[in-house]
Amino acid sequence: MSIKKNFSSRLSLYVLLVAAGVMVAVAFLIALSAVMRITEDAREKAALTLDNTILKIEKVITEVERSVDNLDWVVQQHLDDEHFLYEVTRELVTANPNIIGSAVAFEPGFYKGRRYFSPYSYIGDVSHELHSFQMGNEDYDYPVLDWYQIPKLLGHSYWSEPYYDDGGGGQRMSTYSMPLTDEQGNIFGILTADISLEWLSNLVTSIKPYPNSYTMMIGRNGAYIAHPDSTKVLNETIFTWAMGMTDTTTFQIGRKMLAGQKGEQVFFNGKEDAYMFYGPLSNGWSVAMECPFWFVFIDAIDMIIIVFFMLLLGLLALFFGCRRIIRKLTTPIVEFSNSALTIAKGNFQATIPEVHSKDELLTLRNSLDYMQRSINSYISELKTTTASNERYESELNIARNIQMSMLPQNFPKRSDCFLHAMVQPAKEVGGDLYDFLEVGNTLFFLVGDVSGKGVPAALFMAITRAAFRFIGALGLSMSEVMSRVNNCLCDGNHNNMFVTIFAARLDLVTGEMEYCNAGHNPIVIVSPEGKASFLRAKPNLAAGLFENFPYEEERLTVAHGSRLILYTDGVTEAERADKSQFGEPALLQWAESLNPETSAEAASIDLYSQVKRFTDDADQNDDITILNILLK
Amino acid sequence: MNVTINEEGAKALVTLEGRLDTTNADQFMKDITPLMNGSHQEIEMDCTDMEYTSSQGLRMFLMLQKNVSARGAKLVLKNMKPHVKEVFDITGFSHIINIL
Repeated sequence: MSIKKNFSSRLSLYVLLVAAGVMVAVAFLIALSAVMRITEDAREKAALTLDNTILKIEKVITEVERSVDNLDWVVQQHLDDEHFLYEVTRELVTANPNIIGSAVAFEPGFYKGRRYFSPYSYIGDVSHELHSFQMGNEDYDYPVLDWYQIPKLLGHSYWSEPYYDDGGGGQRMSTYSMPLTDEQGNIFGILTADISLEWLSNLVTSIKPYPNSYTMMIGRNGAYIAHPDSTKVLNETIFTWAMGMTDTTTFQIGRKMLAGQKGEQVFFNGKEDAYMFYGPLSNGWSVAMECPFWFVFIDAIDMIIIVFFMLLLGLLALFFGCRRIIRKLTTPIVEFSNSALTIAKGNFQATIPEVHSKDELLTLRNSLDYMQRSINSYISELKTTTASNERYESELNIARNIQMSMLPQNFPKRSDCFLHAMVQPAKEVGGDLYDFLEVGNTLFFLVGDVSGKGVPAALFMAITRAAFRFIGALGLSMSEVMSRVNNCLCDGNHNNMFVTIFAARLDLVTGEMEYCNAGHNPIVIVSPEGKASFLRAKPNLAAGLFENFPYEEERLTVAHGSRLILYTDGVTEAERADKSQFGEPALLQWAESLNPETSAEAASIDLYSQVKRFTDDADQNDDITILNILLK
Repeated sequence: MNVTINEEGAKALVTLEGRLDTTNADQFMKDITPLMNGSHQEIEMDCTDMEYTSSQGLRMFLMLQKNVSARGAKLVLKNMKPHVKEVFDITGFSHIINIL
């Protein structure tokens, strides 16, 4: 199941996304603050490292200075003892591991009139043995060298710029020179101590607090005294380095270092941003340490990785936890869905899962349950109604069949007379009726219309038809027939039902017709010439209303070739949607349009279709009966 | 079918408007029931605006007529349109109901 189709997974994912957003934001803030703190710590650590380095170097320098300074008095006391002066220099070198060479150099002519006198002791670079000798001569005219001349001119102690000594130690060194003065304040000599720059350089460059960081030291003129790249020592200055950089702040660093300032500066070292920490030494030198910017992350990166993994683990746990909980919570929904589907498929008795919580799920469950009950109750009601309707319908259909079978369909098959009749009830059953009876050469026929429609009219119609069947066969006069039928119908007619009837007996040979009208519509007679007219018979009174009503009969001779058309008011009062009626004039017009040769059956059907065409799909509002006779 | 009944003492003046057919015959019966409680000696129905009556409608008039006759009162239908009067004539109802 894909995550899109799985509600619990999708919901878990949404929760996860929100939680991830919050957690990432929180983690970011924590990491940011941690990184800031770690950065600060790292920076302080670096600065502290530099301070320590400076202190270490300072200690060496101070020790050298103190050792030399302490000897001032000793030298003054033993100026006359030549050997002792050698001993002083030897003692200084042996007693002080940082000092590799020492000299007591005197002003030309000062010491016993000698031009050069400078006892000198040093430790051999290779042999590590102590050598002593008098170093001043024509080739080594020390009074003109920096280490001698500058302190003499300055009148105080002085650390020389680094130099390569080819006369004494034969190595890169720096010399501390202390002037020796007499009681009058005249300088008569210089006491020196040499320190090895190799040694100092090793000390300085070993300070490497972070990967890719390095420490270096410059002299008062900016020349490197110590540098990881030893070829630069004495050969390059810090400004050589600065000129090779695109970032001009490097010049500032150089200037500030030369000015003896302490500080730190961010700059671009050609590859990345870096910190330069720098600080001065008491002798005018300056130590600097470069740390690439990202060094701070060395400490922070572990923490960031840990935070990231914790975050990932937390989110995974959250996702699976959420999905499990949500899946458990939504299980009823899936079950409801299945139940609803089962119900929808037609199994209305499907079990709806129970819910033990009292939340929306319970509401949903109750709704489903209510729906199921409603459906079941509705279906059961519908079944009853349908069954009942089916029963009524079936009974009505049976009633219709019975009623239709009451109306004779076996029309006379004679050559001198054609008869056809039809009834079309407005509902399943109706109150219209017709009947005919052929006795020898006489034809008894009638058309009737019971007031109202439907079942009540049909029942009354059945009584009427039965009464006529019985009484009509007795051979009585038409008025007598009608009177007896009327009395029969009046009996027990509490509902005041009535029926209009036109009944007649026609002698098919003579054409003599005896008829009685009980409130029925006037029949149409079409003469052999095709002229149609209404037979305005005496109305008497519809049958079933007043017992013993004196019905009167009338007589008429029907010409051979005439057509008699009997009908009920369902024809003339057939209504369109606009309530206009078919009407008597239309009936007469239709009758006159008939071809004399048209059969009785064709005429009935034609009239019926005319009426239908007139009503134009409007509901049939009354039963329609048509009976027509063609007398040859 | 609108039925308006105005009473003038023991005389009821009734106005009939519209069509009376199978669909509203039951309602018509209810409308004229007050006329059958015996309180009116004379019932005069103005049929000026009556457009049509079916055989079911005739039955209602008949029932009213029988009720009126039984207690010796009088029912008169007035101003009937010719085509409506014709229905009363054809069925012979004109013989038992007084139509002016």
